[in-house]
Amino acid sequence: MARESGGMLQGTLGLLILKSLVVQEQHGYGIARWLQDVSGDVLQIEEGSLYPALRRLEDRGFISSKWAITDNNRRARYYALTRSGRQHLRTDASTWLQFSQAVTLVLRAEPSVL
Amino acid sequence: MTLFGRRDPADPTPLWRRYLRFHRADVEADVEDELRFHLEMSATDLERRGHDRSEAERLARARFGEVSAIRKWLLSHDRKRQHREERADVMDTILLDLKYAMRKLRHQPGFTLGVVLVLGLGIGAATTMFSAVDAALLRPLPFQRDDRLMSINGLDIPLLEAKGAKRMAELDDARAMRTLFTHVAAYAPGGLNLSDVNAPMRLNVALMTPDLFATLGVPVARGRGFAAEEGKPDAAHVAVLSDGLWRRQFGADPSIIGRDVRLNDVAYRVVGVMPPRFGFPEATEIWLPLTIPSTFSQYEAFRSYMPTTFVARLAPGVEPASADAALTTLIRRFQTPERRAKSLDNETLEPLRDVLVGKRRTALLVLLGATGLVLLVACANVTNLLLSRAIGQRSELALRAALGASRGRIVRQLLAESVVLALAGGFVGVLLAYIGVGALGSLMPPSLAGAAPARVDARVLMFSTAIALMTGLAAGLWPALGASHANPSETIKSSAQSGTSGREGMWTRRMFVVAELALALMLAVGSGLMLRSLQSLLGNETGVNPVSVATLELTLPQVSYPNQLSRRRFFDDVIARALATPGVEHAAVVNELPLRGKSSIMLQVLAGLQAPANEDEMKFAQLLQTTPDYFQTLGIPLLRGRTFSATFDSARAPEVVISESMAKQLWRGEDPIGGQVGPAYGQQVAPTVVGVVGDVRPWSIESEPMPQMYLALANSAPNNAAILARGSLAPTALAARLREAVRAVNPTLAVYNVRPMTEVIAGAIAPRRTNTYLITLFGDVAVLLAAIGVYGVIAYGVARRTREIGIRMALGAQRNNVIGLVVSEGIVLAVLGVSIGLASAWALRRLLASLLYGVTPSDPAAYVGAAVVLLTVAVIAALVPARRALLVDPALAMRAE
Repeated sequence: MARESGGMLQGTLGLLILKSLVVQEQHGYGIARWLQDVSGDVLQIEEGSLYPALRRLEDRGFISSKWAITDNNRRARYYALTRSGRQHLRTDASTWLQFSQAVTLVLRAEPSVL
Repeated sequence: MTLFGRRDPADPTPLWRRYLRFHRADVEADVEDELRFHLEMSATDLERRGHDRSEAERLARARFGEVSAIRKWLLSHDRKRQHREERADVMDTILLDLKYAMRKLRHQPGFTLGVVLVLGLGIGAATTMFSAVDAALLRPLPFQRDDRLMSINGLDIPLLEAKGAKRMAELDDARAMRTLFTHVAAYAPGGLNLSDVNAPMRLNVALMTPDLFATLGVPVARGRGFAAEEGKPDAAHVAVLSDGLWRRQFGADPSIIGRDVRLNDVAYRVVGVMPPRFGFPEATEIWLPLTIPSTFSQYEAFRSYMPTTFVARLAPGVEPASADAALTTLIRRFQTPERRAKSLDNETLEPLRDVLVGKRRTALLVLLGATGLVLLVACANVTNLLLSRAIGQRSELALRAALGASRGRIVRQLLAESVVLALAGGFVGVLLAYIGVGALGSLMPPSLAGAAPARVDARVLMFSTAIALMTGLAAGLWPALGASHANPSETIKSSAQSGTSGREGMWTRRMFVVAELALALMLAVGSGLMLRSLQSLLGNETGVNPVSVATLELTLPQVSYPNQLSRRRFFDDVIARALATPGVEHAAVVNELPLRGKSSIMLQVLAGLQAPANEDEMKFAQLLQTTPDYFQTLGIPLLRGRTFSATFDSARAPEVVISESMAKQLWRGEDPIGGQVGPAYGQQVAPTVVGVVGDVRPWSIESEPMPQMYLALANSAPNNAAILARGSLAPTALAARLREAVRAVNPTLAVYNVRPMTEVIAGAIAPRRTNTYLITLFGDVAVLLAAIGVYGVIAYGVARRTREIGIRMALGAQRNNVIGLVVSEGIVLAVLGVSIGLASAWALRRLLASLLYGVTPSDPAAYVGAAVVLLTVAVIAALVPARRALLVDPALAMRAE
């Protein structure tokens, strides 16, 4: 898949970020690690591009942020899902799944059927 | 947001915003911290996986991407967001203040209503006058670059039928000055009958040279304007309609273009329709070409002379002064030395707008100034109301201050209240202005009636909102600052009641009342002077007795009434029918009603036929053509001789009746009866004087009596005429009878201005009456407000001194002493205010000079009268609370506290 977030489908990165915050609030670096771990290095995201995406999500009210202290005593900005973010994730994720299934179906179709 | 804490239900401000208010987030540091945290964490993890430190840092950066680009994006985003939040925060506080203010005001409906009404009156008056001034003086006229449009005095349009040498500079001479003017056009407003509809009607018509619309820069909305060749005397008849006439009379039918309308029984081909709301000059409904040279047939739209205005558009870069100089030289070339001497002081070139607005400019500005004074009085009054209220609220405010409200916060809160009050007042004021603008009527320049009517539009609304806000801030600032000074600890310590005994507010309040009295006195002097002018005007003998007289005006189209005989027959028939009606005693016809407000044609005359050596010895006389019964109908006294004979006899020498002034000025004490009025003006025989009648004021009550001569209408029956009747019927019924008489003779003829004669005379003084009534109204309002102010401050003083009064009464003070004690305070204030007001009015007296008639601006009666009125009102306003002081029970008053 594309190496750059610019090459990812529009809104996909936002969806992934929201997903990363479902369980707990997290700082930007944590989100980057989680994405890398979960996707098994398939999704190579330029980590810096997370931050503009985070700001946009915050502007839309899907996430909120605050400064807090990490486990090893460092100050970091933590992001958390808001109620509307949770709602958005639910609807967007299902749309995405339907879409990707449809694409998969089309790609697997026998040429004769076309 | 809810993640970070519970919201206080009473405070709608989100918690994080309140947090920001104390610690304004440092955008730069936060972005830096966040990025550094990421990179360091990343590097540490990589180091842990076996990279050495510098390699780990490089890798971390590589994974991150372009750090500086991301940083830049984040910084700009976060700064914008911070601004947005701060703005929202400020808005929140303001809204909160306003909401709180409204809640508080709702709980004091009496106070609120009073203040809103007082401010509404002030703002309403100011808004109304502003809309008038804006329309007449400020707002650009609906023409292109109206500042480059000039009016030219001293030009002429040649007449096709005229003989003899050119005596004046003509329109074409000015047009030839192409370096000075891009256009020179002329127009003349008049009236014609629209004859081809079910009900005949009178229309406002303007004759214009074909280039008038181009000169003004106003395009035709449909069809076309006039072509240059349509400005020639023998061109086909064409017309342009106003949008209003097109809609009203022709149902906005686009196919009207190319059809004919009949004006005075002559067909005109409609070639265009003007855009909506364009009715220049006056309220023109239909435009016709003014031809060069003009012809006698064009005079049908006017009474005896064409009131032509010449408009020129200055060429780019030309200074008005240089154009004026060049034009004056041109005009002077045609003038005889005597005429040149007379016209010296007339400017040749004046801005068009100045000419159109004319003398009404001063009246409008003075009235706007008067409303400004009223608004100031209202403002001072509201300030005082707010001051007493603020003193009442002192303990509450002190408590809030003690609980940590900052001084700015308290000031803002109090200001919010006065602004809410003022905005509500502004709302009431705008409603009043909507009504008031309709009543401006004769205050507005008639020449701009169609082009720039006064109306409440966005500009005017902006003005009233602005003055409402200013009033709110001005009235509220002093009380708010004063209240915020309150020392919390002291006020809370003392009891609530003594919280109202503060002394310092007293002087401020007295000062405001003195200012109110002074302002009100200035207005009272102004209205006094205006009332005395009106009075002296009404005292003028008009020379006619208008009671029980009705009149109407009409035009006999030249086509249908081509000769003397047909017109004479028409007038004879109408008079006969009118006289046959029960209740009509006299009826007459005249070419021009007196006091109609429009100037008319003047003839140069002399006693006898010998032309004097010096042109100056000839006098100008107003020429009137009447039927013999005219003098009886209007009650004009016959002083000597007789009036004309009733029957027409072409064989006999024409007879003339002259006015007293004419007899005095031309015959200088000799007996005019039997004399002849010369020169003969192409008539075969010069008319012989048969009688002398009383003077009639010619076109307005202000114009001095002038020579007038009456010729028998039978000798030369005019096309334009007024018909009059006197009788025992009510004037309106009489007017209706006259209309019926005309209809019986010719049902297709339009009649207009059907009205009692008293209305004609009222119309002649309408502008002055309106001015006077308005300034008197403003004066009355100001005096009333000042009285309320005096009452308020004295009543407050009585309430404050209840204990003192009680002690005095217990010690044996008499009723009179108590009243004297209270009233004397009022008198001191009144005398002070009146003195200041008198001095200010005296200093400003020149402003009013040009609006006065028959009184000087230093008329002592007006000053004394105004002073007496204000002193009386102030004493009465002080007496009311004084009576309350008498009710003080000494025992109770002393026990209290």
